[in-house]
Amino acid sequence: MRAEPTSLLQGTLDLLILKSLIAGEQHGLGISRRIQQITGGTFVVKPGSLFPALHRMEEEGWIASFWGESENNRRAKYYRLSKAGLKQLEVETKRWGRVSWAIAQALETS
Amino acid sequence: MPLVVKVRSFLRNLFLSQRVEADLDQEVRSHLEMLTEENIRAGMPRHEAQRAAWMELGGVEQVKEQVRDSRTGAFLDSLLQDLRFALRQMRRSPGFALTAMLILTLGIAANVIVFGVLQALVLRQLDVPHADQVMTLQPKEGGGPFVSHPQMRDVRDANTVFSAVAVFEIQDFGLEANGVTRPVWGCEVSGQYFEVVGVKAFLGRLLERSDDDHPGASEAAVLSWSAWKSDFGADPNIVGKTVRIDKQPYTIVGVTPEGFYGTEKIAQMDLYVPMANEASLDGFDWLESRTYRNLFSVVRLKDGITVPQAQAELNTITARVAQQHPKEEEGLALKLARPGLIGDFVGGPVRGFLAGVMGLAGIVLLACCANLGGLFAARTADRAREIAIRMAIGSSRWRIVRHLLVEALVISIVGGMCACGVGWMALTGLANWHPPTRYPLKLFVVPQPSLILMAFLISVVAGVVFGLMPLRQIFKTDPNETIKGGGSQSPAGRRWVLRDVLLAAQIALCCVTVTAAFVSLRGLSRALTMDLGFHPKNALLTQFDLSQAGYTSNDAAADHFQRRLLERVSQIPGVEAAGYANTTPLSGAVSMSGIFSQQSVDFRPSNRAFHSYIFDVSPGYLNAAGTALLAGRDLSFSDTAKTPAVAIVNQEFARRLFNSEQAVGRYFKSGDGVSIQVVGVMADGKYFTLSEDPQAAAFFPISQKASTSTALVVRTQRNTADMVAAIREVVSDLDRGVPIRELGPWNTDLALSFFPSQVATVALGVFGAFGLLLSIAGTFGLASYTVSKRLREMSIRVALGAQAKQILSAALGRMLVLLSSGSVVGIVLGVAASRILSAIVYQASAHDPFVLVAVVFTLLLTGSLSVAGPVKRVLHADPAKLLREQ
Repeated sequence: MRAEPTSLLQGTLDLLILKSLIAGEQHGLGISRRIQQITGGTFVVKPGSLFPALHRMEEEGWIASFWGESENNRRAKYYRLSKAGLKQLEVETKRWGRVSWAIAQALETS
Repeated sequence: MPLVVKVRSFLRNLFLSQRVEADLDQEVRSHLEMLTEENIRAGMPRHEAQRAAWMELGGVEQVKEQVRDSRTGAFLDSLLQDLRFALRQMRRSPGFALTAMLILTLGIAANVIVFGVLQALVLRQLDVPHADQVMTLQPKEGGGPFVSHPQMRDVRDANTVFSAVAVFEIQDFGLEANGVTRPVWGCEVSGQYFEVVGVKAFLGRLLERSDDDHPGASEAAVLSWSAWKSDFGADPNIVGKTVRIDKQPYTIVGVTPEGFYGTEKIAQMDLYVPMANEASLDGFDWLESRTYRNLFSVVRLKDGITVPQAQAELNTITARVAQQHPKEEEGLALKLARPGLIGDFVGGPVRGFLAGVMGLAGIVLLACCANLGGLFAARTADRAREIAIRMAIGSSRWRIVRHLLVEALVISIVGGMCACGVGWMALTGLANWHPPTRYPLKLFVVPQPSLILMAFLISVVAGVVFGLMPLRQIFKTDPNETIKGGGSQSPAGRRWVLRDVLLAAQIALCCVTVTAAFVSLRGLSRALTMDLGFHPKNALLTQFDLSQAGYTSNDAAADHFQRRLLERVSQIPGVEAAGYANTTPLSGAVSMSGIFSQQSVDFRPSNRAFHSYIFDVSPGYLNAAGTALLAGRDLSFSDTAKTPAVAIVNQEFARRLFNSEQAVGRYFKSGDGVSIQVVGVMADGKYFTLSEDPQAAAFFPISQKASTSTALVVRTQRNTADMVAAIREVVSDLDRGVPIRELGPWNTDLALSFFPSQVATVALGVFGAFGLLLSIAGTFGLASYTVSKRLREMSIRVALGAQAKQILSAALGRMLVLLSSGSVVGIVLGVAASRILSAIVYQASAHDPFVLVAVVFTLLLTGSLSVAGPVKRVLHADPAKLLREQ
């Protein structure tokens, strides 16, 4: 499934990016693969969605970037969670909890 | 802190954009490489790994563009880029940008100017407090706005609805100050005039009721602000100074405030004096005359009184007055009207004309918009390939639309500014312009900032709306197809598209303006060559009023002066004929009188046979004026107050009274019951306006009815300047104190009569020219566009042996269909619209074959001119070269 930039899914993408950075700093491809992994392959984030989201979130101050070395000694841009990002993760998680609970409720009663 | 972070990134994006860009580029590229490596590790061959990585990424530039769009300040940043891009594009095709701006300037400026004049003459109220309460009273029937002094005195004393009632007469005075006598225009005003107007004096006081109590009650005069400023050097101690007006001493008691120009919107007065003194100023006494109806009235409604209420009471009063004075006032009926346009006399025609011109201006604006739309559509089609390439390399459609939008904005802003500049200058020019007449006419057009702002907004909106018309084109652009098509494949040759319809509509609209222009031109040329009943060519007119030099009409000295003048002038070498009159036809200052049949004994108005224009003329006047005496004799100085009353009448007069032109020797009676013998019959002419129907006129001997108002007509073939000097010398030799109001070719004096036609012709001519320019721009634009689109196809045809005729019909056949159908519709519309014109422009008729031929010819000419360039390009195209290039 592709992460289309609808408001719900955009929030979801943010949440997934923040979540994937909890384990530690990561570059773009790493984030993308990690999301694929933690969602059991459900979400494949294309660079066309990933990079705008990363840059937007950096401008929001939730994540910070720096240049580092990749596993293969390649120069790569790394992202890590900031304090504000951690807080945002909590907010997003709560919100998502509410939303998914509501959706589940809605689907059960019919 | 999020806000701080945001501001920081905004500033970084704005000022360190190069570093940010480099960063982004590197990030995306390293991502691509990592993807490739990942694929290689998964066991793909290198080139396949690379390809898969590319596929997953979806294009470096596209990703970068998406990131850019998500940045803070991305909008501003790309707006600047778009602006730079738009300017670059415009530099690359200056023809397009200039044409679009020119079109916009023409359309908007035309509207600004017309609306400015409309605002000044019609929409604007008089510049006085509570202007909505100020009205004028004028007869319900009859041509003029004029009332008499006793009439308005009756209304003033009997009404309960007006807080003040006043009359005024516009007069020229000889104002003598600091030893110099100058003719100035002013008003004789009755006592409540300044109560009606309600303005406060700038200096001293204004005229009050007591100043107008009885003749000689006061020698107070009030100056206008502009006269005080320009003629008295803004002297702060002016109040109390003594001047001489028509030789009588007057004291300046005050100055009107700046911005008060009297109660006429188109005239500027210098002076106000009490009406009670009119006998000493005008040379004869009319205050108590009910038949001297030459006064304008102004009244102010009381608070809370509506116009219908006032009208109802007015009806009661006039009915009573008519009953009390059956002889003079029978049938008296007055109505309330808006003041300002010679009472409301020219209000109707002025409003009608301005509404018509406003309509034309609207048409020009519509045509402009159609033209702009066509231009932008053609340009977008021209750039289809460029747009397709940009889409292919990662530009979003929205971004391309934004480019067009910015381009349209730049064009419309520049065009709007030019239009406002042109409009402002034209209106200022009009405000400083004095129409060619001795009357103190002035257009108080003030370019209102609100008007200019509005015009600017309209031009921006028009530019943007029509700049975005090709949106559909962009959204359906398929980059693949367009690029493959080589940019030259377009629907231009096949389907009817929006711009074709726009062109036809625009040509139709332009035809309307061109037809209107020709109709009015034709009307003017007819008016200029029509039979006036006299020949102003080769004649000089000298006008002055002896009352300004202290003569009165009861005075033998005035008569003596005029006769001496005639003798002396007749002796000047080169003078073929000379004569004088109290006033000349078409001078504006003509009077009418009731004519009764010889059998009449009761001289109430309803018994009169008809109204006739009356003139008092000297012997020889007919000859000097070039009016043909068809039968009988000329007047003679031996016709005096002691001999029987005689007159020369025109053919219309004779026909109306005697049903025959054999009138010599027969009699009629004037309103005071005197029998008058007809001694001559003269040719018909025009007396008050050029557009009047044949009117009755009678010339009476001035030796039987002396007048201080003098119009001397001198017929001569000699050089005008010499003759003018000679006449001036004779006048000042006879009496140095006579201020000559006017001395020059008679034609100059008639300018006012031709003025409406001329104004109409100039205005409509300008719109016609606008229309032509627009249709040339539109036709040329579309023709050259069509040709450039199909040049390749045409050259293949030429290479295959097509004849010039076939090529032309293939390339421009459709243009011709558009042109001719647009023209036909336009001419039909124009002819219909021109009926309205005949109200203003004398003898304007759209059914004139000359007009139709001229319109068709003009359109053919402009049509061929505008397609000439593209045609040449098609015929001279070198197929070999073209095909190689493409």
